[in-house]
Amino acid sequence: MSTVTRIAREEWRLWLRSKVVVVAALIVAVLLAATSVLTVNRIAAEQSQRIEQQVAAEQTFFAQPDRHPHRMVHYGHYAFRPPPPLAVFEPGVDAVTGQSIFLEGHRQNTAMFADTKAAADLGGFASLTPASLYQLLLPLLLIVLGHAIFLRERESGTLAVMLAQGQSGTRLALGKATALLAVIAIFMIPLIGVAAYSISLGESALAAISLVAGYFVYLCVWGAIVLAASILLKQRAVSLGALIFVWLFAALIVPRFAINASSAAIDAPGKIESDLVMLAEQRKLGDGHNAADPAFMQLQAQVLQQYGVETIEELPINWRGVVASFSEAELTELLNSYAEKRMGLEASQSRLFGLFGVVSPTIAISSASRTLAGTDLATHHRFLRESEDLRFGFVQALNEKHVTALDYQVDLNRNNGEEASRAATINASAWRVLDEFRFAPDSASQRMDRAMLSLAILIAWLIAATGVVYIASRKVKL
Amino acid sequence: MASPLEARSLSLVREGNAVLDGVSFTVAKGEIFALLGGNGAGKSSTLLTFLGFLEPSGGEVLVNGRSVGSDVAAARNAIAYLPEAASLYAHMTAYENLDYFLDLAGKSATKDEIDVALDRVALPNEARSRRLQSYSKGMRQKSAIALALLRETPILLLDEPTSGLDPVAIDEFHDLVKTLAEGGQTVLMVTHDVYGACQVADRVGLLRHGKLVGSFAAENGQRIDTETVHAAFAGREAT
Repeated sequence: MSTVTRIAREEWRLWLRSKVVVVAALIVAVLLAATSVLTVNRIAAEQSQRIEQQVAAEQTFFAQPDRHPHRMVHYGHYAFRPPPPLAVFEPGVDAVTGQSIFLEGHRQNTAMFADTKAAADLGGFASLTPASLYQLLLPLLLIVLGHAIFLRERESGTLAVMLAQGQSGTRLALGKATALLAVIAIFMIPLIGVAAYSISLGESALAAISLVAGYFVYLCVWGAIVLAASILLKQRAVSLGALIFVWLFAALIVPRFAINASSAAIDAPGKIESDLVMLAEQRKLGDGHNAADPAFMQLQAQVLQQYGVETIEELPINWRGVVASFSEAELTELLNSYAEKRMGLEASQSRLFGLFGVVSPTIAISSASRTLAGTDLATHHRFLRESEDLRFGFVQALNEKHVTALDYQVDLNRNNGEEASRAATINASAWRVLDEFRFAPDSASQRMDRAMLSLAILIAWLIAATGVVYIASRKVKL
Repeated sequence: MASPLEARSLSLVREGNAVLDGVSFTVAKGEIFALLGGNGAGKSSTLLTFLGFLEPSGGEVLVNGRSVGSDVAAARNAIAYLPEAASLYAHMTAYENLDYFLDLAGKSATKDEIDVALDRVALPNEARSRRLQSYSKGMRQKSAIALALLRETPILLLDEPTSGLDPVAIDEFHDLVKTLAEGGQTVLMVTHDVYGACQVADRVGLLRHGKLVGSFAAENGQRIDTETVHAAFAGREAT
């Protein structure tokens, strides 16, 4: 056994014989296991539930009877975003972005939240997730375990004895680092278990392994910070106080400051706010339900010319359907331009927030964690875009049926009694225009690409913290 | 042949204060040299320069003829050091402590060999498997001395080695140190115990305010005269 391993082993002997340390480690272990089990169960249930709901929504749409096609445009449909497999560890932005959208004509609705399952969810506190435990609690445990890992030797006088046996400060630091590394390795086991479980649910091994590696590097950064403080500072109370302050700063203060700073630097209006601004522009486009709206006069002239007829009654197609289709296309272009602008600003805020990782490793790992798990803002934005494509696709397909499968005169008479109303319908087989929608996370390589900056920041943290440990250990004094 | 320990015009300044000022001495092979002085005289600092823990501001220290500054590792390998506080781990037993520190020194010892060393320092059998947190100061001191014995180095540096020991244990310790010196080990001990120094040492050096102000040697098989050294220590004529 090398002396480095021996030093690490003896550090473990001390920890295991210290009741406080064992109890603290056990509490964290139990918390970690319990949170992992609870989150795994909750996310697994949500995943199967949302997939079932998606299928049920499609079947309900298809099961509608013969109807006027525009009624189906307003009957609408749902798009669900099932949590990706790694959400069992990192639910990410799910809790604040909503996971389902009601899709209908002329509107881009806001994503909605899943039903609240328990009143406790309304308590106003973020729920505990395995990711938050790894990001916040485990660094704290490393501080408790390691704040005196080196300076204890100096305080008790054993440092002189150790150095007098021919050991260098660097070797002693290496031994202590190995002891902390073993702690980190043990606390990686639940995450490895969760990652393996997510792979069994269909997650890419690359993404799962990258997530595990990211957290390993993150905890190593904290281990190095703790060790550096223990080498550089002379009293354990000072070391503990300084490390707790660093933890508060990096894990609690900077992330909240980064949110405020990102919001202040890049003002992104919310969905409701931008909808209100958009309303004025929307009015200029005309009312798609009113084919006689002056906004469609130019369109009318073009269509009449195209078909070589004088009146809309002479058209071989349904003029109301043409207006509905044209109006939907114009409106969607407007809606999309606002949505893209809003999402662009949100993405910029998110990128700026991620850059605060250079000040706080907790921000770096949380950004990387959400991205690798597929629960980041970019994934939510893609869900919004894909669900919008689905919405536009089936609405326009129904408008096309309106144009071609429903006679204009019959359509005009639809409100003249029950018989006329029944005549102004098309066969329910037309509802099959709805595309199947199954939202899936990005490929592992795409997620890796997006997480690369945060991971690079984490590695830079590790190099810097390890460098401080190395330099400090070379200058160890009694 | 080079002396195992030599200080040449050794000076040391710490935080602006002169701790040692031109101290020179040599300790021959098999000799017991005691540096005597009051608190703050620079005794422990002298030991720490031989271990390379403190860097001389002037002059140099040599171990086996080699400057410590040029090869600290060689110096530490040649020296077994017993610090004043007898610092071993309180959460470990004597066996575990000795095994660990020997391992750090690149040595190994069987349980029987450790028992022999502990027998020599008279640490009771029943205590050896207990954690040091239940030990008296003297018992901890004995465990630390056993470590120094097990290192089997040619040089022993002892910092206030009898501090906290009862009179019987002090006598036993002095006998042990003499035996080691007779076996060829070179001993440099620092102490403020005039009687103890005169009992065990072949020579006594008197340090005052960082300067070596006196030296006393045993002659004709007699021990160093305690009264003479005590008077010099106190700064008066012997009666």
